[in-house]
Amino acid sequence: MSETIREQELIPGGRRLQWQRIAEYVIVIAIVLESIVFAVIAPQFFSVPNLINVALSIAITGILAVGMTAVILTGGIDLSVGSAAALAGVVAAIIASSGGGLGTVVLGGLAALGIGLAVGLFNGIMVAQFRVPPFVTTLAMLTICRGLAFIITGGRAIGDLPSSFEFLGKRRLAGVPVPVILMLAIFVIGWFVLKRMAFGRYVYAVGGNREAAYLAGVNTKGVTLLVYVLNGLLVGLAGLVLASRLGAGVPNAGLQYELDVIAAVVVGGTSLNGGRGSVIGTFWGAVFIGILNNGLNLAGIDPYMQKIALGVVILLAVLADQLNKSQGALKT
Amino acid sequence: MTGGCQSGGNSGSGGKRIGVTLLTREHEFYKQLEAGLKEAADKQGYQLIVTSGDFDLAKQQSQIENFVVQKVDAIILCPADSKGIAPAIKMANEANIPVFTADISAQGGQVVSHVASDNLAGGRLAADFIARALNGQGTVGIIGQQEVQTGLDRELGFKEEMKKYPGIKIAIVLNGAGVRDRALKAAEDMLQGHSDLKAIFGINDDSALGALAAAETRGRNDIIIVGYDATPEAVKAIQRGSALKADVAQQPHDLGAKTIEAISTYFSGGQPTKSIAVPVKIVDANTLKESGGVP
Repeated sequence: MSETIREQELIPGGRRLQWQRIAEYVIVIAIVLESIVFAVIAPQFFSVPNLINVALSIAITGILAVGMTAVILTGGIDLSVGSAAALAGVVAAIIASSGGGLGTVVLGGLAALGIGLAVGLFNGIMVAQFRVPPFVTTLAMLTICRGLAFIITGGRAIGDLPSSFEFLGKRRLAGVPVPVILMLAIFVIGWFVLKRMAFGRYVYAVGGNREAAYLAGVNTKGVTLLVYVLNGLLVGLAGLVLASRLGAGVPNAGLQYELDVIAAVVVGGTSLNGGRGSVIGTFWGAVFIGILNNGLNLAGIDPYMQKIALGVVILLAVLADQLNKSQGALKT
Repeated sequence: MTGGCQSGGNSGSGGKRIGVTLLTREHEFYKQLEAGLKEAADKQGYQLIVTSGDFDLAKQQSQIENFVVQKVDAIILCPADSKGIAPAIKMANEANIPVFTADISAQGGQVVSHVASDNLAGGRLAADFIARALNGQGTVGIIGQQEVQTGLDRELGFKEEMKKYPGIKIAIVLNGAGVRDRALKAAEDMLQGHSDLKAIFGINDDSALGALAAAETRGRNDIIIVGYDATPEAVKAIQRGSALKADVAQQPHDLGAKTIEAISTYFSGGQPTKSIAVPVKIVDANTLKESGGVP
């Protein structure tokens, strides 16, 4: 790290914000372009039911991506989101299926949020207090949560859930699936917290230059901890919605979601080095990937090709970020 | 050190001793496989030393090392890692102990026979069921798992058999990675993109149950879904009259018996087939009613 305190990162605005704007424009243009391509090769693509289908397909990734954006903005990473979501989902399903009607369903939902919170708190304490690298802490939680999910279910899915359990995942309100409404709400809240609240500025400051933020009076430990805790809460919610969509608590659910989520964040222009990025960019990143997967599926493209396509997109996004950064370094 | 739980002692002098290392003893599939092994071995007068690798390659290696030290007459192995187990198999080869693999094959070392479910035949059974249910007419989709050989075989068997039915078109094949949430997404795109879709084959029950969740969310109870493995959850879904209409069931008990049969052929000086396919069967609401819910 250079000694120069990059003030732009403490104050929203300036060159960094400009870069974000450009990144957002670029990805929106990319979304328009890919939509045109798919509309040509797959006639079913441009229809309201299919666009709702796309929104539904990114709902859970999207909810997770909001929390992940904040985590990555602090310069961290959370690899445990998929496993922790699975654990939250199976616990919710076990409680909901214990036969107390709506009461146990609500209790199960709260338990899912509680599990997410606990995992987030653990990750946050390890990272903020004990300075364990986030990659390692959350990698450990990835395997621990997955193991727990298998142990408490005996490796089997927990089904036979009351129909009220399906509300968050399977119902629609005014024609819009509930998971999509939840995702949009979480994006709006995430945008508000990160862009309009002092806490959000601190998140950017911690990731941009931790030392400078500390010297400026930011409680860097507290901010980091809170980011992981809030992220954990979203993980619990995502696990609950996932279980509800599947109509079961499935111990192998959420496999490799961390990769999908990180991909959405990175494609959305958020830098893995921390300090730069936005929730809006992440939203577009998730939309871009959602349309890519859906369009390739509709067009019947080979599943292997889809993986390659996503990999290329991620590489391009990271390359763009890197070019921007080195250009910035030359100017200062 | 890690001997695992052993059943049977070393007291018998007459019968042949066979060392077994299962993948796990937790799953129903392996419990039945073990029961099949035991029954057949009892008939032949063989003594089984059964251990479980518990999905742990290192544990399984040391179990095989123990078998070599104990100078068993044969080893039955369900590898925790097809490639990683090769050195242990070579060790048994050097000690001139014949090795048989059951359910999961090994890559490397000399294996006398590999005994496993006939996944190609399972795919064919699923195709026949769907073709009959659709009266030989309609569009179908497959939710596959192309990363895994068993998944590929099931898909391949299904596609081959469907060639017999010119009125049926396999419109789309997507990858559900063998897990339910990915299968759900794949099924949603499938139902979205092909409104005329009449049936979906899921290459395992997670794939089929993911497709079922997608169909139910869309109120598409008219669709015919066929799964594979006949897990308790899938059996329940079939019994409650959902869109999941049938499942291909493996016969782990038979798998165990066939493995002992191969060993018996070998002991009596014969050369058992290198690859032994154990038949599978299809279960639906009717067969489940007859059998009292047992797949």
